[in-house]
Amino acid sequence: MGAEAIARAIDLEKVYGQGEAQVKALRGVSVDFGRGEMTAIMGPSGSGKSTLMHCMAALDRPTGGDVEIDGVPVRGLKDKALTQLRRDRLGFIFQSFNLVPTLTARENITLPVDIAGRKVDQEWFDRVVDTVGLRDRLSHRPTELSGGQQQRVACARALVSRPAIVFADEPTGNLDSRASAEILSFLQNSVKEFGQSIVIVTHDPVAAGYADRVLFLADGEIVDEMVDPTADKVLERMRGFDATGRRS
Amino acid sequence: MFKITVKGIFTHRLRFALTALAVCLGVTLVAGTLVLSGSITRTFDAIVEQTAAGTDVQVRGAQLETTAVDGSKQREPLPLSLEKKIEAVDGVARVAPDMSGTAILVNKDGTATRNGGAPNLGFGYDPDDPTIRITSGRAPEKKGEVLVDESTLELAGLAVGDTTKALIQNDPQNVTITGVFTFGSSLAGATLVLLDEQTAEATWAPDGEVPSFTIGADDGVSQETLRDRIAQVVPAGTEVVTGDVVYQEQKDSFGTAIGFITTFLLVFALIAVFVGAFIIANTFSMLVAQRTRELALLRAVGASRGQVLRVVLGEAAILGLTGSVVGLGLGILLAAGLQAVVKQSGLEITGGLPVTVSTVVVSLLIGLVVTMLSAIFPALRASRVAPIAALRDDAQTPPGGVLRRGIIGLVLVLAGFATILPGSLGDKPQWALVGVGAALLLIGLLVAAPWLTRPVVRLIGIPYTALYGTVGRLARENALRNPRRTATTASALMIGLALMSSVGVFASSANASVSDIVDSELTADYVLSSGGFTMIPTTVADEVTTMQGVTSVATIRSAPVQLADGSVFAIAADPRAMTENVKLDVVAGSLDSIDAGDVVVSRTAADDRGWKVGDTLTAEVGTRKNQSLTVGGIIDDSQALNNPNMIVPLDLYAKTVPAAQQGDFLLYVKSDGTNTAALRSQLEDVVKPFLVVSVQDGDEFADAQAAQINSLLYLIYALLALSVLIAVLGIINTLALSVFERTREIGLLRAVGMSRRQLRRMISAESVSTAVFGAVLGMALGLVLGLVLQRALVSQGLETLSIPWLTLAIVLVSSALAGMVAAIIPAWRAVRLDVLKAITAD
Repeated sequence: MGAEAIARAIDLEKVYGQGEAQVKALRGVSVDFGRGEMTAIMGPSGSGKSTLMHCMAALDRPTGGDVEIDGVPVRGLKDKALTQLRRDRLGFIFQSFNLVPTLTARENITLPVDIAGRKVDQEWFDRVVDTVGLRDRLSHRPTELSGGQQQRVACARALVSRPAIVFADEPTGNLDSRASAEILSFLQNSVKEFGQSIVIVTHDPVAAGYADRVLFLADGEIVDEMVDPTADKVLERMRGFDATGRRS
Repeated sequence: MFKITVKGIFTHRLRFALTALAVCLGVTLVAGTLVLSGSITRTFDAIVEQTAAGTDVQVRGAQLETTAVDGSKQREPLPLSLEKKIEAVDGVARVAPDMSGTAILVNKDGTATRNGGAPNLGFGYDPDDPTIRITSGRAPEKKGEVLVDESTLELAGLAVGDTTKALIQNDPQNVTITGVFTFGSSLAGATLVLLDEQTAEATWAPDGEVPSFTIGADDGVSQETLRDRIAQVVPAGTEVVTGDVVYQEQKDSFGTAIGFITTFLLVFALIAVFVGAFIIANTFSMLVAQRTRELALLRAVGASRGQVLRVVLGEAAILGLTGSVVGLGLGILLAAGLQAVVKQSGLEITGGLPVTVSTVVVSLLIGLVVTMLSAIFPALRASRVAPIAALRDDAQTPPGGVLRRGIIGLVLVLAGFATILPGSLGDKPQWALVGVGAALLLIGLLVAAPWLTRPVVRLIGIPYTALYGTVGRLARENALRNPRRTATTASALMIGLALMSSVGVFASSANASVSDIVDSELTADYVLSSGGFTMIPTTVADEVTTMQGVTSVATIRSAPVQLADGSVFAIAADPRAMTENVKLDVVAGSLDSIDAGDVVVSRTAADDRGWKVGDTLTAEVGTRKNQSLTVGGIIDDSQALNNPNMIVPLDLYAKTVPAAQQGDFLLYVKSDGTNTAALRSQLEDVVKPFLVVSVQDGDEFADAQAAQINSLLYLIYALLALSVLIAVLGIINTLALSVFERTREIGLLRAVGMSRRQLRRMISAESVSTAVFGAVLGMALGLVLGLVLQRALVSQGLETLSIPWLTLAIVLVSSALAGMVAAIIPAWRAVRLDVLKAITAD
């Protein structure tokens, strides 16, 4: 953790349900996400990786512990402040349904800025759009774009408001390998070129291979981490988990 | 499959509840109308029954075709001497000559004791009359003594023994209340004052003639036997009927009046049901669209098309029945509520709340059938879902083009214009063409609405996209996303508002026309008129004539004239006095011919019946048959004279109308202009004893005429407001479903930073677009229909077109507000969505 933390989880707990049906999704997770880094969160289904990201991204409220985004504690924020936090400091890329079908690609990209009532930084917009290669698709509606193109629009939208950190939840889950590679290298470039901080949740070792650091989650706890991963190394590590029967 | 049907309803209970509410409100109106009219019928039946209770046989003069002031048919009068003859018949217990007229009691505040427009009746008191029971005090014995019924006394705020003034057959006098009686049934707002027999005779049978005799039989003598015996002794041509016949006749005549009211109210109830049908159809299409995958799964696991169809129709049946049953219950409450409201105005309805089998059947059937019919197209669409659709990801197929509907709708609208214009612009309106044309316009607009959605909603969206930016644009695009859905939702609102605006244009034009005509035709300074069933006594005119500054007085009397082919509205007046107070345009012949005993007819009447100057007509006038009348002149229709078809000489009136019924219904007074204010107060003093006679100048006279139109207008507005309310429910329903459909999208918007306030605003703006779209269509159609109506009625005196812009603006703004209100619940649901759950929803 050479770089200073852009987001931080402190003893994060999340419990779903009550009594017999109680499920502990996060059991006291403490972790720092580095500024200008791409961090991948990996783990089998039910390991709590999505819950961790949702709590970090202020989409879900943890049962215990604290989250800090860019030095701002999230706990205790009211809906209005949370909304502003998401709008101004965070970027989102979801697995699917990232775009508003009634808006064009351009309108979708500028949506967070428009909602905030701010002026779009045209230079920055152009740079982002050119990086994702959407220049000639800006006036199209989502239904006229391929799945890969839609995810690229989502990426551009996540970046255009210059957020402190971008959260991507299985961004390549619905894409073929070629489109996946495009999205991932674009995200990697944005870290290198713009110094963007990114957290990506994935179960795909190839995707994790693009990250600077990989956190492995199992049963709601961080069980391991890997710096400068490659797809093969990640795959190897995953196999190890499977063999020890970590899945419940 | 029934289980699936029931499950379907429970899963989507909110939207089913809202849809059932639409069914329910329509049925409420239908059931309420039926129950109320049933209870009014029972009230009047009780009155008729009570009235007829002491009547075993009635002897009455031959029926004439002319109509008396109170709306009943005139009869040839019978001499009072007949009473002795009838009394002598074996089996007769009592004979009472029927002497009645108007009698108004002055209440403790010094004004007339009356309930709105209900009649103020006076009768002679017959001690043997079994229907009247004195509960306190004693019977009247001489002039100046009266017996009053309990509710009248209560209304007057007086007590037995009090002395007050009364206006008895237009004769103001001081009276003492000697006693109070009970009639045994509600009087439906009428007041009753009884005089002793001799005074009654002097007042209501001054010529020694009465219209009928009421006869009571001895015990053991049947009505039929007595009728046959009496028939032997009365002169030929006299009618002798049993009490049962009288009862049935009166019941029927009330039945006709109540039937008219019932039909009037039912029309509005059915409009509400029709509007409800749109909402039901819309809800089911949305549900079917949303459940395509579920329905396809049913098909995939082996359900037949018929079974899927039955699932959806089964849901409609349950919903329709539930809504109807609740509606029926609410309808009974509505009827009770209306009874209470009507009671405030003095009309006591004592008929309870009769829920007949037919009321139940009709209400439930209307609700059920309309719901099923509305659901049939969505159900058919559901049954056509291919099993493979279960596997497709994008289960919601985007709606097809709307161009075809636009073209068909446009053709229908053009056909509507092609029918309605010739029907209304000719010399005489052809109502069949106007009706068909109006229907074509409405249907055409309903069909074309989805095609119109895009351009119109874009236009409506200009202000809020400018105001709210992206949020506004999102709202506009949401409204345009499914043009059919938006159009159907808006159509429900359109229907009510189209009717409102056309009635508004009509009423506004009628008001303007009346005041224009009165302004330009009336030269008199004051108009004296009486309200309700009473007339201005002839003595008033005599007194006014002698006043200082009065140059001319025109007495206008209503003359009952009946021709072979129906009755005409005729007045009796002096031609010279008339022209001094009212401008009349003589088209042919002359007005002075009235002096020679001829009649003058209006241009419309002459055109309708092909009369020319010099023609001779045979008519019944008053109580006299076979009067021959020669047409001496034709005048333009005169609103200032209340549009009479015919003007007859005053001496013909004096000769043919019984003295007890004579009086003026309008009195025009022209002054020399020196001191009009003093004249006015003098006039007011003269009419003061006559309680219900008012003094108005030209403007007030016009306003009073307009007020009549307006009160009907407000009633119609209130009735149409209910269908507008149902349409607003439809907007809520559509929005709630849309919010549900867009759960993930809303989650996304919230995730990328849309605030709750912006979300609320977005949904509100979408709602307002839909509502205003409906209002714009409705008002456009309403304006066209109102315009057509006015054009068609130019010849009937509706000469001035007046468009009530202010009312229309209020309607438009109210629609926008209604849209905002409709958005409250859906928006509340949307902002409460958990962002994470929403975005990960299916």
